Amino acid sequence: MTRFIKLFNLSRLYSRRFIFVIAGLVIIAALPLIIGSEYVISEVLAPMLIFAIYASSWNLLAFSGQGSLGHAAFLGIGGFTSALLAIKLGVPPLLGLFLGGLFSAAIGFLIGLTCVRLKAWFLGMVTFGFSVISLTLVSQFDSVIGGIMGFRTPLIVPRGVLFYYFTFAVAAASIFIIYLIMKSKLGLAFKAIRENELEAKMTGINTARYRLVAFILSTFFAGLAGGLYAQYIRYIDVSIFSPHFSFLPLMMAVIGGLGTLSGPLIGSAIIVSIDAYLPRIDHLLQGLLGSLFPAVSNVGPPIRMMLLGIILLVVVIFAPKGIYSVIDKAYAHLLNKRAAGKQ
Amino acid sequence: MITPSGLAETLLWGVANGCIYILLATGLSIIFGVMKLVNFAHGQLLMIGAYLAFTTSVILGVNSYLAILVAMVGVAIIGVAVERLTFRKVLGTEKLNEIFVSLGLIYIFENAAVLLWGNKSAQIPSSINGILSLAGISISYDRLAAIGIVVVILLSIVFLMKRTKIGLAMQATSQKSDAAKLMGINIEKVYVFTFALGAALAGAAGALYGIIFPFSPTLGALPTIKAFAIIILGGLGSIPGAVIGGLLYGIAETTAGYLLGGIWPDAIAFVLLIAVLIIKPTGLFGGKGE
Repeated sequence: MTRFIKLFNLSRLYSRRFIFVIAGLVIIAALPLIIGSEYVISEVLAPMLIFAIYASSWNLLAFSGQGSLGHAAFLGIGGFTSALLAIKLGVPPLLGLFLGGLFSAAIGFLIGLTCVRLKAWFLGMVTFGFSVISLTLVSQFDSVIGGIMGFRTPLIVPRGVLFYYFTFAVAAASIFIIYLIMKSKLGLAFKAIRENELEAKMTGINTARYRLVAFILSTFFAGLAGGLYAQYIRYIDVSIFSPHFSFLPLMMAVIGGLGTLSGPLIGSAIIVSIDAYLPRIDHLLQGLLGSLFPAVSNVGPPIRMMLLGIILLVVVIFAPKGIYSVIDKAYAHLLNKRAAGKQ
Repeated sequence: MITPSGLAETLLWGVANGCIYILLATGLSIIFGVMKLVNFAHGQLLMIGAYLAFTTSVILGVNSYLAILVAMVGVAIIGVAVERLTFRKVLGTEKLNEIFVSLGLIYIFENAAVLLWGNKSAQIPSSINGILSLAGISISYDRLAAIGIVVVILLSIVFLMKRTKIGLAMQATSQKSDAAKLMGINIEKVYVFTFALGAALAGAAGALYGIIFPFSPTLGALPTIKAFAIIILGGLGSIPGAVIGGLLYGIAETTAGYLLGGIWPDAIAFVLLIAVLIIKPTGLFGGKGE
């Protein structure tokens, strides 16, 4: 036990930040009681939590200095595995969810073996390629999988508040584990590799092995998020492998704040809110701009997608550490002001 | 049925397809060589080029082969804007930032194309319809023209790189940008020119692609990966490598389509990419790995 505490450096948990985290958890848990709208709980808050896991899994990979442009492959593998296990083999869906994550991590191990030695953009290309290959294979074996038409997934818990608390539990556990990893010796090694791979190597870190470990851990959580996502939309088909799903966790992590624990959560909240609320002004946009762009029947979706691209560009260029750093700075500024006022 | 003439035809078609990929890969390779920048949105420039040529030839009624020039100039101008407004701001910072910027550009270009041209598939009406049949091998004039045009463009690129002042400046910058700066080369100008040149090549590739194949706003992703597979196959930053890689790739793709059919032509890009990265990460002609 003491070894465990030393390994994960648990003593660091009792910091002021930890109190913030606990407060945040309580607020997130109490949200359904405050909001009360069924739509907001199951269509906005639940996907936010699912994408928070997914974006955190991507963030963990980036934490070790790697980047994937094909994480949708692991989201899809997790989703399909958990759904197929439940349908074809009668595995309990809850166990299936976990097994989906494990299977995704196993595939992640195989992919990682070949590509953890690659530099940033090569790794990006190979992982992107792998997501396209996964899509091709799942479509090719359609007679067994049935992914082109898609199918309903057996549910663990009914939709609504119960599903919200279920995703909340899984998300809280996942993100807590990711937090422990990031704070542990393992996380320190990841950080050393990210900062300077050569120096990390010189201090005796087996960089290839640690990068592989990061890859496996990341793909496990991506697979878990995939299983949850299939639970959320209660349906799964091959569109889960599309590049958009590969780029989403990246955008969330980068927009929120790469390498920080809360970054992916902020990013997930922003992007899921855009998806959930901006369609409401579609008719307004159509009325304003519809005559300018006669080629599309509804200008809303492409404008929303463009907005995502623009937000990503603006954040990368003007706030490379993400929105988290902006909030952090504003908070520090506020504290300074208060301290100055007291003097 | 696999016949000798069928196989020969497949090879010839492969060369023609390969030529389009060569243009795209050369642009990507020049940008990488000089700026050490990886532009994942390169395929989207190809897509914009295809649509610019489409609009020029359909709405203005210009000859489809003249529209290639319009596409080149148009995409080069977009390239200048992209370099100045986005990539320049992140050059020299973390390498991952370039990937993030490219992704943002992919979203912007694809959806701008959806807004302007709709989500339907389009094709540029060719000005020289017809098929050349010789000894059981038939190939459309468009494909032959594509081969000719690519050869002309590549020869001009070689001339530009070897014989002109800006070409020499590009070479110097690619070898050592600090030393080039000390020799009085305006690096920023070289960067803008390089990016515009690479974009113009993507524009030309797009116009040629649009004459031969139907295309839609989501066209860009696959050509980007194919171009990457080609420059990795040929060695990063090497133009002869891109040419030979492009030809090999084009032939491999059409042969896979001929022998295996279906979805395999696209999957071959990744199989090749992963195989080369595992076996010889520096590519067939690459000197040092990056």
